[in-house]
Parts: sequence; C-alpha cells; structure tokens
Amino acid sequence: MNIVVAIKHIPSIADDLPVKGNNVDFDSVDFVLNEFDEQSIEQAVLVKESVGGTVTVIGVDLIGELDNVLHLALAKGADKAVKITGDDPSADSHTQAKWLSEAIKGLSPDIVFAGVQASNDLDGQIGPLLAAHLDMPYIGGVSSVGVSGDTATVSKEFAGGVGAKYAVTLPMVVGVQAASKPPRYAPISKVRQIAQTATVEKVAPSGDASSGLTFKKMAPPVAAGHAEMIEGSSKEVAAKIVELLKSKGLA
Amino acid sequence: MLTTIEKIIFIALALISAGFTFHGFKTIVDSIRKGRSAPELKNVPMSLVKGAVTVLFQRTIFKARKGLSAIHMGLFFGLITYAFVNLFDVLEGLVPGFDLVYGGKHIPNAPTGLVNAFNLIADVMSMFLLVAIIVFFVRRFIVKDKALTFRENILLNPKVKAGAQNTDSLIVDIFVIMHVIAHVLSQAYRLTDGADPFMPFASFLNSIFGASQTGVHVAWWVSLGWVMFIIPYLSRSKHTHFFMSPINLGLAKQNPRGQLDAPAKVDPGAKFLHDLSWKRVLDSYACVQCNRCQDVCPANFYGRPLSPSALEVNKRYLLKEATFGSHPDLYLLPLTETVISPEAVWSCTTCYACVRVCPVGNEPMADIVDIRRRMLVDGAELDSGVQNALQSLATNGNWMSKGKRLRGRWAKEMEFPVKNATEEPVEHLWFVGDTASFDERVIPNTKMVARLFNQGGLDFGIMYQNESNAGNDVRRVGEEGLFEQLVEQNMEAFGKAQFKQIVTTDPHSFNTLKNEYPQFGGKFEVKHYTVTLLKLFEEGKLTIKNKLSHYKVTFHDPCYLGRYNGGFTAPRKLLELLGVEFVEMPRNCENSFCCGAGGGQIWMGKVAPGERPAENRIKEALSTFGESANAKTQLFVVTCPKDMVMYSDAVKTTGNEGRIEVRDMIQLVAEGVGVDA
Repeated sequence: MNIVVAIKHIPSIADDLPVKGNNVDFDSVDFVLNEFDEQSIEQAVLVKESVGGTVTVIGVDLIGELDNVLHLALAKGADKAVKITGDDPSADSHTQAKWLSEAIKGLSPDIVFAGVQASNDLDGQIGPLLAAHLDMPYIGGVSSVGVSGDTATVSKEFAGGVGAKYAVTLPMVVGVQAASKPPRYAPISKVRQIAQTATVEKVAPSGDASSGLTFKKMAPPVAAGHAEMIEGSSKEVAAKIVELLKSKGLA
Repeated sequence: MLTTIEKIIFIALALISAGFTFHGFKTIVDSIRKGRSAPELKNVPMSLVKGAVTVLFQRTIFKARKGLSAIHMGLFFGLITYAFVNLFDVLEGLVPGFDLVYGGKHIPNAPTGLVNAFNLIADVMSMFLLVAIIVFFVRRFIVKDKALTFRENILLNPKVKAGAQNTDSLIVDIFVIMHVIAHVLSQAYRLTDGADPFMPFASFLNSIFGASQTGVHVAWWVSLGWVMFIIPYLSRSKHTHFFMSPINLGLAKQNPRGQLDAPAKVDPGAKFLHDLSWKRVLDSYACVQCNRCQDVCPANFYGRPLSPSALEVNKRYLLKEATFGSHPDLYLLPLTETVISPEAVWSCTTCYACVRVCPVGNEPMADIVDIRRRMLVDGAELDSGVQNALQSLATNGNWMSKGKRLRGRWAKEMEFPVKNATEEPVEHLWFVGDTASFDERVIPNTKMVARLFNQGGLDFGIMYQNESNAGNDVRRVGEEGLFEQLVEQNMEAFGKAQFKQIVTTDPHSFNTLKNEYPQFGGKFEVKHYTVTLLKLFEEGKLTIKNKLSHYKVTFHDPCYLGRYNGGFTAPRKLLELLGVEFVEMPRNCENSFCCGAGGGQIWMGKVAPGERPAENRIKEALSTFGESANAKTQLFVVTCPKDMVMYSDAVKTTGNEGRIEVRDMIQLVAEGVGVDA
C-alpha cells in the first residue's frame, strides 16, 4: 500500500509572532512541524504497521530547514522523505496544495494523509485542495483510520460529541485531527543517526495556484475591554442575564 | 588429635568443599564478566586497600541504623576472629600435640603471652558473635522487622516472595550459632586441668560439662563440618556479601557522584541483565539485602512500586537461578519483567539517596537510568508529560514549550541592562535555567538575583536565546541523544561567549555543567549562586542592612546541590549572616529528603495518589519548628527554582498556608541587603 503524508512547516507560535510589513517576519521566527501533521504521520505509520506498505512523507521546504522535520518523520517510522524546493516562506495553502498534489500524483497513492488544519491554515484548506487536485474523495476531522483490502474504515468527529464511522473506497485524502494512538516519541539518537544516513528526495515545485488573496495589513491583536463575570446563585445570574439582554434590546 | 581415619575423612571433605567453593566463585566471576564494560578504574590496588580499610573500620555502615550497625560490627569482628580460630582448630586436629589451651603449654617454645591473648580474644568474640547473631535472628524471625520486607506493589522474584531470603538467613544463623557453640565446647572439653583464666566462656562450659576426649572429637567435627558445608553454600546465597562487599567497595565509583556513566554506543542502555555493566552485576553479589536504600527512597516513601533494594535482591536471585539453578533462559527475560516494573523505573527521582546510604557501594540508581535508556531507544510508550517535555526540549531547548526568544524576556524588563554574554565579555556567565527563565512564579526571584549581582558590582551576563536547557534531567530520564544535542547547543553558545566562570541558579544545571560537561570538552569553573553571593558578602561588596531575626528558618538541601555536590555550607553561612533563627530538620545535608521533582518527575503528567515527598517534607519542617511560643514567621528556605514550585504547592495541599512560607534564599538576602523587589 502506498501511503503518503503531506506535511506543513509553519511559523512557531511558541514565540510572539513578529510582524514585518504586511506579513510575518519570516526571518526572525522559528519554523516547526504543524502539530496536526504529527498526528497524521502517526496514523499513517499505524496503518502501515497493520497492513504493510510504505509511508512517504512530503512537504514544501519553505526556508531550507525541512530536512529536520523529515528526519523526525523517518525516525518515527516513515520510509521515504520528499521535499519540494519551494524556498518561499510566504507560499500560501493554495500554492502549497498545488505543488504537493503535482508531486504526489507521481507516487500513485492509495491514501493521502494531511493534518486537518494548521495554525496558519485554521480553515483546513490543504486536505480538500489536495483531494480536488488529485480527484479523490476527502474526509476530514478524522480520529482513526483502519484499512482492509481497498476499503478504509474512518472515524470522524462532529461537534457536540457526536461521532460517525465511514467506509470509504480507496484512494482517498484524509484530514487527521488525532491519530488513534498518541504520537510516538522518536529518540534523538535515532533522529540524528537518520540525519546522517538518510537521503531526502528533492522535487522542484510545479504548477501554479494561489488563493488570489493579498494581505492588506498584519498586526498583533490589541486587547480591548474585558469580559464581565456575573457572580451569584444560578437564579441571580439568570436574572442578570435577562436584564442585560433586555437592556441591549435583544429580548 | 584426630585419628588417621578421621584425618583422611577430613582432608577428603575439605577437598570436596574446596571444589564446590571454587565452582561457586568461578560461576560468580563468570557471571560478572558477562556484564558490559564500565568506566576504567584508576589505581585499582590502592582503591582495593581503601575498600579494605573502609570495611575494617566499618565506616560506611554507620550512615543509618546506628544500633544495628554496632551489632553488625560485633558480627564482623567475630567472623574475622573466627577465620583464625578455624585455622587453629584445623591445626589442633591435624598436628599432634598442637593445643592452644592454657597458653599453649603442650607446644614446645609456645609464645605463651600471645597465645593467651588470642585465646581471650577468641573466647570473648565467641560471646559477641552469639549475641550479635541472636539479635539478628530475633529481629528477622521473632520481631519480624518491617524494614526487611517489601510493599505488595513491588515486583519481587517468585523465590523471594516465597521466603528465599529467610531460608538463607536461617541457615547462616543456625550455622553461626552451632559453629560457635561447638568450637567453644571443643575448647571446654580440652580443659583437663580446670579453668583457664584466659578462656572464661570455655571455662564456664567446662565447669558444667567437664573435660572429655570424645567430646573434643564430636565438637570439633560439628564445628569444622559446618564450615566445610557453609563456605561453598555462601557462594550460593545472599551471604556472598561477606566476600564481595569489600571488593565492591574497592571497585566503587571513582567519578564524581554527579557524573552518570555514558551508555554503550551500540544498543545503549539495558534490556537484559548483561546489558548492565559488570559493576552493576557485582552490586547484587555485594548486597546483603538490608533495605537501607529502601528506607531513604522518596519514591518508595510515596507508595510507588519502587524499592532500590528489591532491584538488587531480584538481580541476585535471578543470577542464582540462571547460574546455579541452571535456568540460563532467565537471562533472556527483560529486566522490566524480572527485576523492576516499568512503573517503578519511571518513579525514580535520581536523588542519589540510595547510592549514598548503601554501605557496600552499590548504585541501584544507575541500573534504573540504564533501563530507561533502552526503553527510550526501543520506543516504549512514555508518560505524556515526559514526552511533551522532551519534544519541547528538542525543538525549543526548554521543557516549557516556550519560544527560544522568550528566554531572556525577564532581563529586558530590568531597570538596568543585563549583558548578553555571547556579545560582550563578562566575568560571570549566569546560566539561568528553564524554570528561573520562564516560570512566572519564579521570575521575580530571578530578577532579585540579577539586582543583587548588580548591587554587588558583579560583572555578569546571560546568554539570552543562546542558552538551552543544560540537560541534567534529560540525561536522567534516559534520553542520551537529546542530552548530547543540548550539550552541543550550549557548548556552541559558550564558544561565542567570553567569561571566567559560570554561575547557576538551578542546582540541576549546576550538577551537569560541573560534572558532565567536562566529558564533552566543557571544562569550566561552575558555581551555584549561593556561593557567589556569599563571596560578595565576604568581600564586603554586599552588606546586611537589616538583620532578619524575626524569622524562624529551616533550610532544605536540594539533592543536586547538597548530596551530589556537597554544597552544604554556603546556604547555611548566608542564613547565619542574615541573623535568622535557624533550626535544622532531622533529615539534612547528605541525608536530605528529595522534593520529588528530579529525574524527570516534574514532567510527569500522571500524579499518583498518596502523601508526596514534598508534603512530607513540609510536615517535617513544621514539626522541627514545634509549637513555637514566639510569633516569628516560619520560613522554609530553598535554593532551587524547582523546590520553590514543589514546596509552594505542598504548603497549599497540606493546608499549612499561614503556618509556614516557602522562600528562595534570594528573597531573604534581598530583604537583608535592602534591595526591593
């Protein structure tokens, strides 16, 4: 089985996000692996461990440091690593999805995993865009994937604690929210060993697609006003809320 | 004295006994040699002599259980004496006319004075031995001292569970009692001319049983027959301790306490018994299973399934079955199934109390770290908190998931510039550490340290985002690769900086920088901030303006400053300068009790139920203070940022707010010097 994991290298939000002009100051921010991609790598490796196959991890190298992330993925059980030499830290989700799908086509995948979203892709575009480009079905918000023959059994979470199970005929693109087990830890000695021996395949970006959006302004959010905490017994609180709603003309 | 036939039988039995003994010790030596290599020991003959002297003066045993240790001393000297006693008994049996009673008057030209002195010592020691062994017998079998048992949740070898230790002890107890009585009787039966003033015990027995040649023969055979049985038996029981503990002490760790042995390059760490170094195998032969290490273990106290002594005991019985019991397949079972449970492996705080208290120089803690190392490499499932910490350390260089650039943020908020040591030369490079750099509860103290350094005219700087976690606890969690990565990052940062010495706030960073970085080429002078502050006072650069006599204070020695590195005096001298009323807790200095945070415990996501070590420590402090009549504020003073966090929590969870306050030493110093927060 050919399993592909599309990953994103994103600016770390462990630091305060520095702003320069109309965008993030990419020179003074660290790049990290999208945390949902950690889940999707784990889910991909779990699938491989249960039914066999190869896991190929692929991502766009935005700042020339993607190797670190790819080595980590290899240490966690991926078999092959590919980087698309994008070299543009401002490449948006549409651009990345196009480049990724062009490279993934050549890998003839049975399943493509992607993180359901990223902190710079909160509306989760990568997965659906990949599916569209690859002409495959997409299912997102997934919390476990099991494969048997050419059918995958996928658990998807909905709001309000509701879940559903789908049987999907392969191939497909999956947006992973959480792997069925917590991502494993890759010991650094193993990562470093892989860093010395592994080869990362390089692919030039091909195709062009952008969101068509341009940034007008980017600024850190400014705190304005505070929430008012209503205290007292539940009856008192309810009464105050009713009063407030009335005073605002909402009831 | 013996008839010819008796002599032939004796020599034949002695040869058989020697054969079994040789086989026993050869088996032991072979099993030790199966272990992996250990750091090379320097000047082994001298170390062995030192070990022998330690044993002779019983120096290491008095660290705990003083009364029982004195009894052990009686047993030890008794048995040493009996080595000679048995030698002379053999001569008495084999050499015609050789007889030590009455000053050896039947032996031509015997040195009467010397013989009398020996007789007196042997006679008195016989009584000591009997008393000592009866005390130990009563302790184990009548009183059933709980200190010799293990809690239910601790993994135990099935044979141990079934009472193998008691069987071993019973055999040796009966041997000593019968052997000594038989020997003294054999002497008593020789006293044909009435009492010998140099043999009071034998003379007393003689007054009851009289003299008898038959009696001499029977008693002699009982006495020496036992010896021929017991010596080969010892090699097959926990009493290999007699022979192996002096050797173990002689070959004990020579490197600093705070320097872990590096793991093997191939298949690092330990999954099976012989993945451990040969010294760790030797440990189990030296161990007499006294459980002193269990007494001082904070994890054991907390009800966790860890007992350092159970670890050694299990190793010992596994070895016994795998070698003498011919179950070599036992070697193929993982240590986590036979010796220590995985949960116990992850309960260790690496506080070093077990190693420190061990009278025979064992290092159960080193086994645990080695087992962790292999578990990590083999991809064992980690506690989620530990995994998060390690992942953050790998990406951010700190365990708190903070961005690197935030490390120096506190310094930018200071009212004076704090130098960047990687950009301009400084005399003191201050290695701040994660907790002191990022934890909002601790940052006010960090700033206070900076103000006092500044006030004392200290030329210092920090490395801002170039500093990474020093890696002390990373190494102790078993993540050697990550430790090496952190060392490399810090060494690169140190390379950019110009400084004369390093000063640290965190005792954990202090330990690894001082003791482990030299192995990676980082040979620096490293000081803890308590030492640096004391020096500023001694040089008159800081002076006390306000005496703090309104405080009643006790001090908690952090493991990695105190027990590991002997930093006991500077904090106490500072408290003396400050003029507080100081009281010492019962567990202090070398015997300090761990707060429970070390060795990665502070990262654990799961918290086990039960009274935590830090809570117990707060209670100890309160009982030390007693019901104070005066209205002084009672302070629990710490010198480790982790302690600040651990004990502040413990004061709250034990409901003692208002009765005791946790303060960092720096807060007291600032108050004494008159530097505002």
